[in-house]
Amino acid sequence: MQVFLHLIQAMSIFIVVAYLYCKSPWFKPLTTESLSSKDKVYLYFFFSAISIMGTYLGLPVQDAIANTRAIGPVLAGLIGGPLLGTAVGFTSGLHRFSYGGFSAFSCGLSTTIEGTMAGIVHLYLIKKHRSESIFDPRIAFAVAFVGEVIHMAITPVFSRPYADAVELVKVVAIPMTVSCSVGAALFVSIIRDQKNTYDRIAAVSSGKAFQIAQRSLNILSRGINQQTATDLAKIIHEETGVGAVAITDKEKVMAFIGCGSDHHLPGSFIASPLTKQAIYENKVIFIDGIDNQYVCPLSETCPLNSVLVVPLQIDDEVIGTIKLYEPRNTRFLNINKSLGEGITNLLSNQLLISRYQMQKNLLLRSELKLLQAQVNPHFLFNSLNTIISILRNDADRARDLLIHLSMFLRNNIKRVNDISTLEEELDQVKSYLKIEKARFEERLAIEMNIDPNLLKQKLPTFTLQPLVENAIKHGISNMLEGGTVRINAYRLNGSTFIEIEDDAGAFQGEIGSGGLGIKIVDKRIKALFGNDFGTVLSCVPSELTKVTINVPMEAS
Amino acid sequence: MIRTLIVDDEFHAREELESLLLETGEFVITGKCANALDAMKAIKKEKPDVVFLDIQMPVIDGFEFLGMIEEELMPHVVFVTAYDAYALKAFDENAIDYLLKPVEKDRLTKTIHKLKKSIDAGHRPAIYSNPEIKRIPCIFHNRIKLINMSDIEYVRSSQAGIYVVCPPGEFYTELTLKVFETRTNLIRCHKQYLVNLDHVDEIILHEYKQAEIKMKTSKLVPVSRRYLKILKEKMAF
Repeated sequence: MQVFLHLIQAMSIFIVVAYLYCKSPWFKPLTTESLSSKDKVYLYFFFSAISIMGTYLGLPVQDAIANTRAIGPVLAGLIGGPLLGTAVGFTSGLHRFSYGGFSAFSCGLSTTIEGTMAGIVHLYLIKKHRSESIFDPRIAFAVAFVGEVIHMAITPVFSRPYADAVELVKVVAIPMTVSCSVGAALFVSIIRDQKNTYDRIAAVSSGKAFQIAQRSLNILSRGINQQTATDLAKIIHEETGVGAVAITDKEKVMAFIGCGSDHHLPGSFIASPLTKQAIYENKVIFIDGIDNQYVCPLSETCPLNSVLVVPLQIDDEVIGTIKLYEPRNTRFLNINKSLGEGITNLLSNQLLISRYQMQKNLLLRSELKLLQAQVNPHFLFNSLNTIISILRNDADRARDLLIHLSMFLRNNIKRVNDISTLEEELDQVKSYLKIEKARFEERLAIEMNIDPNLLKQKLPTFTLQPLVENAIKHGISNMLEGGTVRINAYRLNGSTFIEIEDDAGAFQGEIGSGGLGIKIVDKRIKALFGNDFGTVLSCVPSELTKVTINVPMEAS
Repeated sequence: MIRTLIVDDEFHAREELESLLLETGEFVITGKCANALDAMKAIKKEKPDVVFLDIQMPVIDGFEFLGMIEEELMPHVVFVTAYDAYALKAFDENAIDYLLKPVEKDRLTKTIHKLKKSIDAGHRPAIYSNPEIKRIPCIFHNRIKLINMSDIEYVRSSQAGIYVVCPPGEFYTELTLKVFETRTNLIRCHKQYLVNLDHVDEIILHEYKQAEIKMKTSKLVPVSRRYLKILKEKMAF
């Protein structure tokens, strides 16, 4: 009975060690999925120390030691595999062997065996995809139990005199087996609980970060301004549950949500020197409210006393800050601190992406401007010249042409909307063709075949006119006897197809994508409808050049 | 009276210019052409004093066109263009003048003045020392087809006109043999033939200093005694 009590005492010390270990930074590696070799070296020393301590804390019984040495190698084997288990077992076994006594060899051997056996169990669990069972206390119990039984069985085999060995086993077998098994189980259960806590915190914070990321995505694609900043601050406030959230640019507060919003007003200049410092030095500033107090520069009654200021940046350039506050009665949680920094990084990335998108759109717009500008001078003066000539013989026709020219020019200037209907596009093309027809007279024939149901079909503005202009400029105008431009619009297999073709077949260049004008039209269609749609150019030399536009059919 | 050719691909532009020129009472219009090929024909036939030339025309633009006209036939040139991006270049080319469409009457009066001064002084029209001609406009299926110089095996002249011979066939062109001889890399081998040495397979020598060229496509081109020596030198015999 005395042996039993003594071993329970020793075991209790291990439990305390286990508890302290879990709270120490050395526990960190156990929370990750896999152990590095450096981690294993640490674990080797730790469990070897535990195991050797088990020998020292043992009770001398009949020239032997009743002890809890087995806990170390069993845990090492379970957690780190056969190599670690054997190493710990061997180290501790060697120590025991050097201690002497008639059972020295059997004790040393059995400790090594126990470590190896636990390691084999570890391998088995990994192989069966039950790695979560490594930290199951029942497994630890069973392994330590079997290990001690083997230990007891070995002792009479290797220890002489045999009778003494049997006598020893009779006394220590039950206490040692029970205390080692229970000790190993308790130790593992403490590690498991701590590990679960870590996992839960990680799950909660990554869940929050994910929520914020998802909700902020749409907002940020509109760029950052007072409205989007307010929406963002609301989301961060809701998801983190901190006392208050502020977003600033480099000079002013753009948004402030939470307690203290009566005097922290959006639109006012940045008052806090901390924020200025964060912007100036491009670094994270944290005032925990315990060692350092946040003092509100605006109001003495401000409830806030801890703050995290994270610079928001695009391409290493600070454009503002995101600030998280807690009031006096609430501790600023570490999880919120890392969340705050993580979110800001995420937002910085999103801003970079949205800036890139904006620049891409700007590029498309300027390309479009270029396209429009290309039309003007030559076409305009030739048209005027044509009209002046016609004026000599046919004033009515000249008047009609001038009206079409005005309509064409007005539309070219006025149509700032990015999207038009097919009808609007055709009107513009008709004005254009009316004038081109006068310029080329019998050298230009025009055929149109448009499904009237498609007139409301949406298209990027200036889709048709550049293509029709190409057909004339690069096609028909190069034919001595002239040619025909055809415009067809029809539905097929749930898509709308619009074709612009000429019978010159003069296209020379990249079949499929075509020249610059066609590429811009294609890019704009893809920007509006996605990559499944766009333009395709085909050419039969000297017979036909055809650009086919494919856009999704409007729901009618 | 100044004998004048109008070249512009737009019908109404030609009509308008004709009206303006006739109103001044200084011009006789010898022809109106819609493209460079017709214009070459008209210049050979009518030998006008001046050509009013649009720069942007189908296939062969005004500048390229001028580079394809024989020196003896070169008229004075007035460029007429809708857009003044070409104006500077036109002056580089030593044109008498350039006019912007729509043409203003007073501006035209100045042009006439310059033109008459130049003609009265007996100035020869400026020569358009264009770089080597790289592509030859030919008539094909009612279109102007451009044939790369490197694709041409030889050029022959016949009763019907000048033909460019390439592996796929023969094409009619308005360019003269003289222009081919002076502004392309073709070598004269006969009174009626110029040959592209890159396409020559061998020269077959016959008796009495007669010879023929065998092209890589096995076509035969006659060589006259007069040009045989030069040809041999060129081929580095």
